[in-house]
Amino acid sequence: MGHSPTPGLVHLIEGEEIRMTKDRAAGLLFLCSGLYGFYFSFQLPMGRWNEPGPGVFPFLLSLLLLLSGAAWFVRGRPRAAEKGGREKTEGLPFIKNISTPLKIVALTALFILLFNRVGYLISSSLYLFVLLLWVSRYRVAVSAGLAVAIGAGSWYFFAKILAVSLPQGLLPF
Amino acid sequence: MDVLNSLLNGFQTALSLQNLYLCFIGCLWGTMVGVLPGIGPLAGITLLIPATFGLSATGAIIMLAGIYYGAMYGGSTTSVLMNVPGESASVVTCLDGYQMTLKGRGGAALFISAWGSWMGGTLSVIGLMVLAPTLANVAMKFGPPEMFAVLLVAFILLGSLGSGSFFRTMPMVFLGLLIGTIGMDPLTGSMRFTHEITDLYDGIGLLPVAMGAMGIGEILVATEESLVRVIHKIKFSELWPTRQELKASWGPIFRGSGIGFVIGLLPGSAHVLSSFVSYMTERKLAKRPEEFGTGRIEGVAGPETANNAASGSAMIPFLSLGIPTGPAPAVMMIALLIHGIQPGPLFISKHPDVFWGLIASMYIGNVVLIILNVPLVGIFVSLLRIPFRILFPVILLICLVGTYSVNTSIFELSVLLCFGVLGYFIRKIKYDIAPLILAMIIGPTMELSLRQALMRSDGSFLIFWESPITMTLIAASCLLLGWNIYRALRPTAASWEKALEEGK
Repeated sequence: MGHSPTPGLVHLIEGEEIRMTKDRAAGLLFLCSGLYGFYFSFQLPMGRWNEPGPGVFPFLLSLLLLLSGAAWFVRGRPRAAEKGGREKTEGLPFIKNISTPLKIVALTALFILLFNRVGYLISSSLYLFVLLLWVSRYRVAVSAGLAVAIGAGSWYFFAKILAVSLPQGLLPF
Repeated sequence: MDVLNSLLNGFQTALSLQNLYLCFIGCLWGTMVGVLPGIGPLAGITLLIPATFGLSATGAIIMLAGIYYGAMYGGSTTSVLMNVPGESASVVTCLDGYQMTLKGRGGAALFISAWGSWMGGTLSVIGLMVLAPTLANVAMKFGPPEMFAVLLVAFILLGSLGSGSFFRTMPMVFLGLLIGTIGMDPLTGSMRFTHEITDLYDGIGLLPVAMGAMGIGEILVATEESLVRVIHKIKFSELWPTRQELKASWGPIFRGSGIGFVIGLLPGSAHVLSSFVSYMTERKLAKRPEEFGTGRIEGVAGPETANNAASGSAMIPFLSLGIPTGPAPAVMMIALLIHGIQPGPLFISKHPDVFWGLIASMYIGNVVLIILNVPLVGIFVSLLRIPFRILFPVILLICLVGTYSVNTSIFELSVLLCFGVLGYFIRKIKYDIAPLILAMIIGPTMELSLRQALMRSDGSFLIFWESPITMTLIAASCLLLGWNIYRALRPTAASWEKALEEGK
């Protein structure tokens, strides 16, 4: 084919580049949600039209999602711009810049896991410290200072001023 | 007289020291989030929801509404001074506002923008005051078929007027409706899609979904970009417009108020749409339309008035019908629900203190905002010096604690993160997440209305064709649907030309 690898490339099937367009990605999301809804709503009682059961509405929605998903998946297929077959589609747009959001999501997941175990003050300070150091790229001392200050300030604001019940964890407060 | 008496009572409520303070805080925070690019009114409202837990429902809605219309004022500042829209409704303002700044007339653009915002905001509150109780009275006569028909029109309108195309918006609506069915079925008590997870029995919390999809999703996208900010400084003496500029602004301000008010009633991206329609109207009416985009005051006055007028009228369907037309009213509705108040036809008669207190506070808030936005513009602009790399961890933390504080549930934090990722993904593929949230909020009412209507009619769909209201609404839905299908399928001029060429 002679195509140079592009960030949008996700699969190679029989030598043909399959590039996911935005619409194709959306179609996939709708298809998966529709399939999930279709499968599980089918297990619910459907009732009759004069007494519709709990499965009817989700079933109809799943069907509509499946139809929309299939339509966008097909419509978003890589199209040949000319007879030579060079595809004129936009690659997955977030392949290039995904590292920062991925770091944030991973750190947030870790924060949620630690939240109840070690308590708000420690988990929030740690979370902020790693975010500031790893994502915002501040120096260790600056990150630590900011993390402790923001963590303690937010604890005072939420726990003391707004009287929100926050987990104590390892600390006595 | 009734309206006048109610309004006077509303002023009594709004002028209490606590409510005045909350109105001021809301307006101040709203202006701040409007100024800061990357944090829209929606994120601004959701971030302060936890702060409302200790407040009365009236105080809470006064503060949150202040953020909502305050953000519309603040959004113009960065558009005019930096060519960076503070929020999406101010995109159009960049076109002429920034050009005026380059010509040394940025101060006048800001003044006219604040003046127009005040006029649009105040006129729309008058409309809200008159129209909302009337609409609520009509809606009180609605049964399940009428309610279903209204919601059907609302969703099709949302698809037609949303920021994406109809066929891009509708799957998001279906997905939102499907997510809204998770939990216990209100009619039979059956569990749907819960997989024996007890946290899902009451359904997925609206707040973690809204905060995740809008707040966290927005932050994740914003961390990918770095903004180079060039801030033009404005002196107080430069704020005054010339007599000619003032004269040229009157027409756009009045037209913008009307356009914004009408468009604000419709579901979808009302603020963005109203400012675009106002801009295009002014351009069409101008003697020299080619000068638009080079620094015409009409290009600032009209759109800025329109987006503020839209924020007032967007409250009408939300308060009187319980149908939020945009994500920000949807989040305000969630806040009211948290306080045990259900917006809808009975809202005004059951909670007149909350409704009229809100109306009165909006008059006060618009005055507060013009005071904040004209002389103190320099202070707000200096906010832009806070590095985003410090700001975003703080916002993330507030989103997390805010969500946790509602039900002290770790499960809801996981929902927040999952919807944050979904919000990010949907933004990246250029779809609009707002219809999903709106559908999730309205969905349960829609399903209940449909099923109750069918039970009442013994399974006959003709019940939707019996009363004049349902007939009109269903006919309107069919027409709108047909129009959207036609628009999608009709051959474009380009494809005709291509077909003709191939025919040769």
